[in-house]
Amino acid sequence: MKKTVLFILMTLGAYARVISGQVPLVQTDLSASKGGDLLVSSQMIQNILHYQTWGELFVYLQVHWFRLLFAVILIGVIVVFAIHYLIIGAKVFNENCPCVLVYPLFQRVVHWIAALSFVLIIPTGLIMEFGKYLGGGEFVRISRHIHAIGTVIFIIVFIPLFYIWVRAMLLSFRDDTRWIYMLGGYLNKKHVKVPAGKFTFGQKMWFWMAILGGFVMIVTGAAMYFQNFDIALLSKLHLDQVDLLRISAITHNFVGMAILALFITHLYMSLFAIKGSLQSMITGFKSVHELKYLHHSYYRKLLTKGFISEDYEEDK
Amino acid sequence: MSYARMKFYCDDRRCIDCDGCSVACAEAHELPVGISRRKVVTLNEGVEGKEFSTSMACMHCTDAPCEQVCPVDCFYIREDGIVLHDKNICIGCGYCLYACPFGAPQFPEDNAFGTRGVMDKCTMCAGGPEPTNSAAERKLYGQNRIAEGKVPVCAAMCSTKALLVGDGEDVSNIYRQRVASRGHGVQSRPYGWSTAYGR
Ligand code: SF4
Ligand code: SF4
Repeated sequence: MKKTVLFILMTLGAYARVISGQVPLVQTDLSASKGGDLLVSSQMIQNILHYQTWGELFVYLQVHWFRLLFAVILIGVIVVFAIHYLIIGAKVFNENCPCVLVYPLFQRVVHWIAALSFVLIIPTGLIMEFGKYLGGGEFVRISRHIHAIGTVIFIIVFIPLFYIWVRAMLLSFRDDTRWIYMLGGYLNKKHVKVPAGKFTFGQKMWFWMAILGGFVMIVTGAAMYFQNFDIALLSKLHLDQVDLLRISAITHNFVGMAILALFITHLYMSLFAIKGSLQSMITGFKSVHELKYLHHSYYRKLLTKGFISEDYEEDK
Repeated sequence: MSYARMKFYCDDRRCIDCDGCSVACAEAHELPVGISRRKVVTLNEGVEGKEFSTSMACMHCTDAPCEQVCPVDCFYIREDGIVLHDKNICIGCGYCLYACPFGAPQFPEDNAFGTRGVMDKCTMCAGGPEPTNSAAERKLYGQNRIAEGKVPVCAAMCSTKALLVGDGEDVSNIYRQRVASRGHGVQSRPYGWSTAYGR
């Protein structure tokens, strides 16, 4: 409890200092740097005096919180879903046609490339986070490189991913508020008609986390990866380079936690909670029966447009 | 027996920005080009009365923050306070640099991927975890002068004796004597001293 309060206070304190303009304004003066690594320049030396701003916050969070919170999320989310699976169980729909092509080939390809990048990035990120239990060294070092390779793949697929789904992922007040209210029908063993368009609010959360969170992860990750970048830009921002690295590391960890939580959720939903979900991302088709319940608004729309009819067998 | 607590101290009243320490360091440890474990910087350049130079490297801090944040726990702190790390365990993540108040950790490129390699920093001429004075130790960390009973090469080379290294008590005493003999009342501690070693 005491720790939590201290943690909140320190975070707020650091942000307050930034907002109130007390963050040290440092004139970067490279004339004093004698070649080599730019980080040890006079700006680095001047940063000694304001180490308290971001340096101490980074140390505090890394020593006390990051690893702990990652462990809590990793174990907590898995346990919650295991309990859900035991009590509520999977949703099973009649997967026989009539069915609708929901994900055309291009969308499926983009999805699976993005999936590959996440499968490379997330476990390797966790390996680094918990590196001391794995003894460090070559294994964790290679994970660091795979983390970067996965990021390159994600960067390539980022714009197509955004482009193919952005319209369908826009929030719809009517459906989404009702979806949240009934928690997507996931606490119900029986089939209930869930208000959702082509994508449910759950899917939308994951999409926007992948896009917005993913963008933040790319930027902060790149800052840490390249480490020595254009100093002129920083002096405009009135930030020491090393402070930017510290802010990047802090942000990367927190956003990483959010992405991890939703990534596990996505895996659980697609692999366990909704039978046939994985199949639909392979073939591209979802059965009308599933659409009627999980994407009821979309189903209604298809009905009015005459793409599907109401007469089909609900049970096998 | 109580151990000495080794500390660095650079007297910015004496430092003349000659770069002798950093050149001596780079040569003694055969550092790759672009890596300087020790650097001399001048602050407030051109501002009359405020300009000074000082020599910076890893300060071998008390409760070293680098050691605290390392995700693979590759640091170890000797009983004499020298902060060292194991390059075979280090993954080159950069966290120690973010934690360090002095910008000491550096990252030479690794050959395998041409990307940032494992961390390198001042060892206070005390080598690393490999057998003392072995070829492996020398290759990864440079000379182990402490094991031979020699002073770290930077301080040994300092022509004005601005840069001192040794037991914290002795260093403090020399510093106090110097301040007293200069005869100007109160003078703040040397740059970075309290950040590295506390009060
Ligand atoms: S100066 Fe930096 S690298 Fe050296 S002990 Fe202190 S925190 Fe660690
Ligand atoms: S770069 Fe190496 S020594 Fe520094 S924190 Fe990362 S693993 Fe530890």
